Amino acid sequence: MKDYVLRHLEEIVGPQNVRTRDEDLFLYSYDASFPEHRPEAVVFPQTTEAVSRLMALATEERIPVVPRGAGTGLSGGSVPVQGGIVLCLTKMNRILGIDAGNLVAEVEPGVVNQRLQAATAPYGLFYPPDPASMKVCTLGGNVAEDAGGPKCFKYGVTKNYILGLEVVLPDGRVIETGGNVVKNTTGYDLTRLFVGSEGTLGVVTRITVRLMPLPQSKRTMLVLFDSLDAASRTVSAIIAAGIVPSALEMMDNLLIRCAEDFVRVGLPTDAAALLLIEVDGADAGLDAEVASIEKVCRQIGVREWKVATSAKEVDQLWLARRTVIGAAGRFRPTVVLQDVTVPRAALPAMVARIVEISNKYEIPIGVLAHAGDGNLHPLILFDERNPDELRREHEIEKEIFSAALELKGTLTGEHGVGLTKLEYLPWQLNPAAIEITRGIKRLFDPHNILNPGKIVAQ
Amino acid sequence: MNTLTIQLEDALYRCNKCGFCQATCPYYLTTGEEWAVARGRLRLTRAILQGKLPLSDGAVRSMYQCFSCRACNVTCPSGVPVDEILIQARTELARQGYLPEPLAQMGRTIATTGNLTGEAADARRSWWQNLDWAPPQGGKHETVYFVGCVSSFYPQAYGLPQSMAWLMERAGTDYAVLGRDEVCCGYPLYVAGLEAEARALAQANVRTVREAGARRVMTTCPSCYRAWREFYPHLLGEELGVEVVHSTQWLAEAGLPLRPLEGKVTYHDPCDLGRGSGIYDPPREFLKSNGLHLVEMSNTRAEALCCGGGGNMESLDLAAGHAVAQLRMQQASATGAEWVVTACPQCKRTLSSVRSDIPLRVVDIVELARKLAVTD
Ligand SMILES: Cc1cc2nc3c(=O)[nH]c(=O)nc-3n(C[C@H](O)[C@H](O)[C@H](O)COP(=O)(O)OP(=O)(O)OC[C@H]3O[C@@H](n4cnc5c(N)ncnc54)[C@H](O)[C@@H]3O)c2cc1C
Ligand code: SF4
Ligand code: SF4
Repeated sequence: MKDYVLRHLEEIVGPQNVRTRDEDLFLYSYDASFPEHRPEAVVFPQTTEAVSRLMALATEERIPVVPRGAGTGLSGGSVPVQGGIVLCLTKMNRILGIDAGNLVAEVEPGVVNQRLQAATAPYGLFYPPDPASMKVCTLGGNVAEDAGGPKCFKYGVTKNYILGLEVVLPDGRVIETGGNVVKNTTGYDLTRLFVGSEGTLGVVTRITVRLMPLPQSKRTMLVLFDSLDAASRTVSAIIAAGIVPSALEMMDNLLIRCAEDFVRVGLPTDAAALLLIEVDGADAGLDAEVASIEKVCRQIGVREWKVATSAKEVDQLWLARRTVIGAAGRFRPTVVLQDVTVPRAALPAMVARIVEISNKYEIPIGVLAHAGDGNLHPLILFDERNPDELRREHEIEKEIFSAALELKGTLTGEHGVGLTKLEYLPWQLNPAAIEITRGIKRLFDPHNILNPGKIVAQ
Repeated sequence: MNTLTIQLEDALYRCNKCGFCQATCPYYLTTGEEWAVARGRLRLTRAILQGKLPLSDGAVRSMYQCFSCRACNVTCPSGVPVDEILIQARTELARQGYLPEPLAQMGRTIATTGNLTGEAADARRSWWQNLDWAPPQGGKHETVYFVGCVSSFYPQAYGLPQSMAWLMERAGTDYAVLGRDEVCCGYPLYVAGLEAEARALAQANVRTVREAGARRVMTTCPSCYRAWREFYPHLLGEELGVEVVHSTQWLAEAGLPLRPLEGKVTYHDPCDLGRGSGIYDPPREFLKSNGLHLVEMSNTRAEALCCGGGGNMESLDLAAGHAVAQLRMQQASATGAEWVVTACPQCKRTLSSVRSDIPLRVVDIVELARKLAVTD
């Protein structure tokens, strides 16, 4: 990076917030996915004005800029594939206000999801999107990826909770979209366009979110199965029966073992699969919901069905679920996670395909799913140091994607296209759709400097 | 650094970059920077091993500047032994001459004076000079009270050994202190990767305790406790044959009755006592059994935040420690407690150094027990 550009960056954010040493560049070359590429500078802005000035400079100098939150993305979204500047928003992390009367909160993008949850709980409120990474991922990253989580089956994903945004455009102009009202049809819905745009259209600098009253009560069920197929058929049956649990998560035997190895709470390591099901709402109605879920489960045939009896047990079950992806590292050194989503009735078929693919390539694949959404997270477990395993992993990815699309599903449900699914995009979007998407990108970012090479590489 | 063992390299590869260690790392929570969190430290180590990165000052800093609090170890779903990897990396770095100067200086000071501060060994007796009684020294005793450097050399910490000795006298414990024969437990050297130097201290202390014929070593410092209990057998390759006890365990068992205390207390888990040694309940049981109103902080037990005083950080980045202490005191004050009770002289020093408008008093559990002891 040219010297005068660096001087200028230092002037914008202060020298202590600009890093260019080898090790710093290396440290911002990765997220939680597989690809790596080093930037030429890492910058930590603290104000919208700084972001705006930096973007104007980047446009003038045609330098790529890649926004980044906590770097827990699973599609390479914050990996600076074309070098340039990593714009790390972790120091822009104030909760600006919680308006309990209006059920809204306003935050800066670097606020960690869990911190917002902790801050709203005393008001009896919560922010429903709860990615498994919620203790570390930022709301800016959540907006950019349209993150989901277990609760999203009932409550919806990030896009359903973003009322308004302040966004810095690639040329430095600042716009505000939406507002703090729940209904708004003034013009195109730019808010929705930015949500899920993976940092390619603008840098989000302020977020207005909608909050919900915490449910009065909940019941958490653990259901064990002797076959993975029975578990996935149960999911389809619950949905077909018109029941809407607040969470419906699935884990296969391999992952039950990984999870138990970490949390040590007595998960049954010999069960073929488990479902973690939760219902919430007014206390009065919950027992009936639990009963109808039990009925569906028993019709299909379960090994064991139980309702958690203490808050501690509930916490432990959720800890096991939230940490299982990381815990898979106990089994094999490299974990690549896919995110395909299929229509819910097709869940059993997709699960069966994954098992087949795993057998064919002789590489273990853990089956994890936000099952209620038809959103599967096959965890491909291998050793990247072994070139042959690496090759097979790539083949597996392809087969999983084509299976999902054959079943009328999608490449990604919540982790985004980023880098890792770029080459497969034409499998799902037709040329006209890709052209329109590129057109939108060009409109916002004519010089292709903001997170270039992602979603639809120009 | 290409001689790290294969076993450790495999451990290093268990990190799958999930980033979950950010949730509890005090250094990350107060800086938001990747070099400070386990994921970054491990990636750097790995890149250096693979020859992708040179051993730069910044990379070296990332290996050393760490509170050694082990929050990452317990948070990591993949079970990466972050502390062991970093200690081995530091050992290797020290061997190759990359030891940061403040730590090299510390090593020299300890080697020449037997303690962290550089004062003469006689100063280990200062803490009882103004008392009208003295703790027993020399001769055969069942218990040796291993006082530790912080309590021996920092006057603001003298209250801890004074209280502990007083309580043991009162309980009729057959104990003695080592006075000028005690040397640093070696913990600061061990975590800095100066294994041979730490071993020499371990040998000296073990010899002294054996000569005293003691069957039990009593500690009030969690780092001394962990050094004696965990590092010494490892460094010396043998079981010590003495029981190692921390004051909180002793208090919980001794059952000394206390007078009531107005207001709530919160308990700060010292890293080496809680996460490091699994001692979470004895101090809490002691407080509760004496009718104290205990409230917990948002990060507690295994997820407790470091006080900011761990891991040689005082000599490497004092300001970072202050920022962490500030955050911890905010968590403490959010509980509505009036007292922060801890069980470590270093935690007490660090937490009390936070200037704040909140009238929150920091006290070691031993001092609290002394203060509230029923005297007749
Ligand atoms: C173990 C594990 C479990 C996970 N579980 C889930 C889950 O259940 N559900 C789910 O949806 N995801 C999950 N994820 C993925 C990830 O946590 C989410 O995608 C999260 O939203 C990323 O947030 P981040 O702060 O880490 O963003 P980063 O990874 O840093 O960035 C992600 C993308 O957002 C962009 N970005 C970041 N900040 C901004 C900003 N202010 N303005 C514009 N663009 C920005 C980046 O350019 C990048 O494209 C999981 C990840 C891991 C490692
Ligand atoms: S939590 Fe463990 S596996 Fe995850 S990034 Fe940190 S050290 Fe690596
Ligand atoms: S030991 Fe503590 S300070 Fe060091 S990396 Fe782990 S959590 Fe962070």
